[in-house]
Amino acid sequence: MFDLLTSAIINVLQWKYLLPLFMGTLVGVVGGSLPGVTITMTVIVILPFTYGLDPLAGLAAMTGVYVGGSTGGLITCCLLGIPGSPSSIATTFDGFPMARNGQPGRAIWLGVWASVWGGLLGALCLVLVTGPLAAIALEFGPWEYFSLFVLAMAMVAGLTEASLVKGLLSTAIGLLITVIGTDPIASVPRFTFGSEFIGGGFPFLPVLIGIFAFAQIMTDIEKLPQAPETGSVRAQARFEKFSHLKVNWEIFRQPFLLLWATVVGLIIGILPAIGGSASSVMAYDQAKKFSKTPERFGKGHHEGIIASEASNNANVSGSLMTIMAFGIPGDAVTAVMLGAMTIHGIQSGPLFISQQPQLSYGIYAAYILAHPLMLAICWVFMPIMIRVTSVRLAVLAPIVMVLCVLGAYALNNTMQSVYVLLIFGVVGYAMVKVGMPLAPLILGLILGDQIELNLIRAIMTDSDPWLFFTRPISGGLLLAAGLSVVLAIWQHLRHQKRALEEDTDF
Amino acid sequence: MRLGRDGIAGLVCLAVSLALLPHAFGLPRLPIVPIGPGFYPAIVLTFMALTSAVLVLQDLLAQRRLPPPPEAATAEPNQPAPAPTRAYGLVAASFLTIAVYIVLLPLLGFRISTVLFVFVFQIVLERPGSALTLLRQAVVGLGAAAVTYLVFNEYLAVLLPRGSWTGW
Repeated sequence: MFDLLTSAIINVLQWKYLLPLFMGTLVGVVGGSLPGVTITMTVIVILPFTYGLDPLAGLAAMTGVYVGGSTGGLITCCLLGIPGSPSSIATTFDGFPMARNGQPGRAIWLGVWASVWGGLLGALCLVLVTGPLAAIALEFGPWEYFSLFVLAMAMVAGLTEASLVKGLLSTAIGLLITVIGTDPIASVPRFTFGSEFIGGGFPFLPVLIGIFAFAQIMTDIEKLPQAPETGSVRAQARFEKFSHLKVNWEIFRQPFLLLWATVVGLIIGILPAIGGSASSVMAYDQAKKFSKTPERFGKGHHEGIIASEASNNANVSGSLMTIMAFGIPGDAVTAVMLGAMTIHGIQSGPLFISQQPQLSYGIYAAYILAHPLMLAICWVFMPIMIRVTSVRLAVLAPIVMVLCVLGAYALNNTMQSVYVLLIFGVVGYAMVKVGMPLAPLILGLILGDQIELNLIRAIMTDSDPWLFFTRPISGGLLLAAGLSVVLAIWQHLRHQKRALEEDTDF
Repeated sequence: MRLGRDGIAGLVCLAVSLALLPHAFGLPRLPIVPIGPGFYPAIVLTFMALTSAVLVLQDLLAQRRLPPPPEAATAEPNQPAPAPTRAYGLVAASFLTIAVYIVLLPLLGFRISTVLFVFVFQIVLERPGSALTLLRQAVVGLGAAAVTYLVFNEYLAVLLPRGSWTGW
């Protein structure tokens, strides 16, 4: 196995493969860092360029986009407080506060290095355990998927600082948004009230950009008149000195955090339709629950950045496992990759690794090599990227807004998505003002359609609802969901008790 | 009986869920599908109604525990009002500027409306103190529109809106 991998790495180091891989990674980092430009959009943009290439070169370029895009999103998270790509959502929670505290370089490099280590650990699993893990995922039916999604939402509702009820309500709002439009089985319009505008439902991306971007920018604008001269603060931050060794030490002194975030990313990556955003948020939630200092999360805690970034890069290897072992796209990016493989006449599936060892190990090699390349790209371009922080809000906000409008518009080249962006911008800002957490809403949005589909599939297969509890994996996942809620309540009560003790202890 | 912001948010969500629930139950069912299109939305709306009700209840209990508001607001008229900590007027102006931009996009086209938007939004957020600042804001407007147009229209092949009034 390792002989094949070594020769594949040597093979990919040839210019004809290395150059597409480098270009793909560079485009991925840039695309990932632009708000509203998703990794899917970036990989679609690069797809036509791969048609004329050798199959491995084309797949290497797309693997580079995937790896670069997963990391690139963190740059915008830390510098602007807006996820550059959905898979970096959770990085925003701590990356942006850390950057605001005058450590943008530390925030970004923590994320980049965590991405590298998470990605490389993921690569190890990709090579070693593709077969056994795929066998487990094959056992999943609609009951298990439904229960898994319930677990994901229960876990994320526990993210909320103030109240579990608000987290659950926010999740419900996210789920409600996904049921507007036509139903997935019989195409019956639901809650559209005859309107063509919402007849097809709300597209996910404009809703996501609207909620996050407006909530962030408008909250900043609120404080603009009495804000200190942020330009000078950010200009100082630009020259912040930090050590890469120290950043790596911060990551490796908590090996469990790195390993667990990687495992969460891998598992979520293997399971179709969940994707990097859910893995990032789930790993963040797990890190917070296991942390000795959960109260520091959301205020620029390094553990939050490490968990989110290690997880979303490991998620890429999980998605690659699914596509290579089963021929099932784990997410939209791997769906494009699958399409590219089909164009080249390559059949992905259980026999792919044994019938196409050169290509399959070539993908492993491209994935591994994309990480040092991504590191080099960030090293070279980071001084330029950090300069963004020295721009004043009055200049930055209009430009970010234009990018958000473009991100929504480019989804299907219609103004409808832009109107959705504005509507959900208002909703996002209103939710922030009433103290409603946004992360559970986003997870509800991501998983809503899949929850409904799997619920219907399960009931159509067998109308017995007890199967959700009696099937071992499904029952286990639901039990874990219940435990997660109990843990969140216990943590909240402990927090309250501690606060009460601090209040009385003069 | 007082309500805080949590209570108001809970009431709004409760009202929305209760208003939509009858629609969910009233959705037509197809004979070939064992569960109707309203089954899942009904679960979501019931869950939403329950969590909203709990939030309202929690808020009511929290408000009851709070001490009553001081009656001194009118008793001491010379007391200086607390300084506003949030610029909500600026937020409203920002929303309005963005809304006008979105309305103008299909009328004036991406290039003209984006130059105007970036220029005007900068002025809204930071009044220009000198002609030089105004010039800088105009340059930023032009630059932002030009760069985004080139990247998206020329490189990413996104067909940006052309103005129905300007044809540009």
